[in-house]
Amino acid sequence: MFRKFDENENVSSTNQIKSSVQRQIRATILQQMPKIEPYLQDIWPKKESARVMKCHEHIEILTVGEECLFFKQRDSPWYPTLKLLHKYPFILPKQKVDRGAIKFVLSGANIMCPGLTSPGADLNMDTIDDSAVAVHAEGKVNALAIGHMKMSPQKISEVNKGIGIDTVHYLNDGLWHLKIVK
Amino acid sequence: MSEEVETPVEETNEECNNGKQSKEKTVSYPLKVIYCPECSLPLEFCEFMPETVQVKCREWRENNLDILEQEGLEISSLTLDEPSGDKKRQKRGGRGNLKAKQKKEPEVIKIAKIPRGKRKFMTRVQGLATFDVNMKKASKLFAQKFSCGSTVSAPDEILIQGDVTDDLIDIILETWNEIDENHIQDLGEVKR
Repeated sequence: MFRKFDENENVSSTNQIKSSVQRQIRATILQQMPKIEPYLQDIWPKKESARVMKCHEHIEILTVGEECLFFKQRDSPWYPTLKLLHKYPFILPKQKVDRGAIKFVLSGANIMCPGLTSPGADLNMDTIDDSAVAVHAEGKVNALAIGHMKMSPQKISEVNKGIGIDTVHYLNDGLWHLKIVK
Repeated sequence: MSEEVETPVEETNEECNNGKQSKEKTVSYPLKVIYCPECSLPLEFCEFMPETVQVKCREWRENNLDILEQEGLEISSLTLDEPSGDKKRQKRGGRGNLKAKQKKEPEVIKIAKIPRGKRKFMTRVQGLATFDVNMKKASKLFAQKFSCGSTVSAPDEILIQGDVTDDLIDIILETWNEIDENHIQDLGEVKR
């Protein structure tokens, strides 16, 4: 999604959002990531007004102050950015890929089923199909990508072929390098 | 499933010699993750950068061991050198290889005076962005200091109304410490 992403080219407008819309977004985020609740106040203080960057391909990025916090595309759920996820790693369910997959993920590849089922990896059976997950790696503490489950974990271990998780946002992509200018 | 239980178990599994660290970490959120200033990734991911970048990462680590120690990180657990991993790495192109970012242009700041009519001038500054200066903020700063109009006219160009060349050099040197007098080049009067 952010493989080629450049602030000058892909951002079409930045707007402050209405407080009613803010409330809505807050509610949806809480609904999608219930674990964030005790910390949402710190991440996004009520008084702080948020902005939405509208980008090409129907991507919207929610920013508070100088930080990008969440983003979404069309009707997708809100995903946290990796910088936020590193600070609060528990907000998304985790999936772990094996070591061999890391370099491919870092260059933007989707996560294939064998990378999740091999001995080094750890397939989290509690994740739900069609939801956001944090992609961690064998031997690493921090998440390296944020993905969207394409198959249910049961199906992944059964089929063991093809794309298991769609990589939405990964380390070193366009969103990672996005800097906000007020 | 409660999170407090889950995280420490996983972290201690992953790196045994960092056990203390991870326990401290789980206590308070937000966690502080240190990013490598060279490749911008968390330190543990430096090893997946292209060779050219890795050299810089390694250099930075050697020069900043004290900072890393202050943060309570054990550098040994984040080593870059991996004799066995090196052999496996794909040497020729291919999809799994990240490309190094393009090199930045030579870092020279060019200041030029552009005539407007007969006795009025604009000042043009080019090259500030190569120093990672926030262009919009810089332009705003100039406008405030000189009480005049100032605009970011191109990705790496600021136009200031009026001839402010001399003051501008002082202000640039004052606000950005990393910029040296030698980096600034005064082109004098330039036709547009």
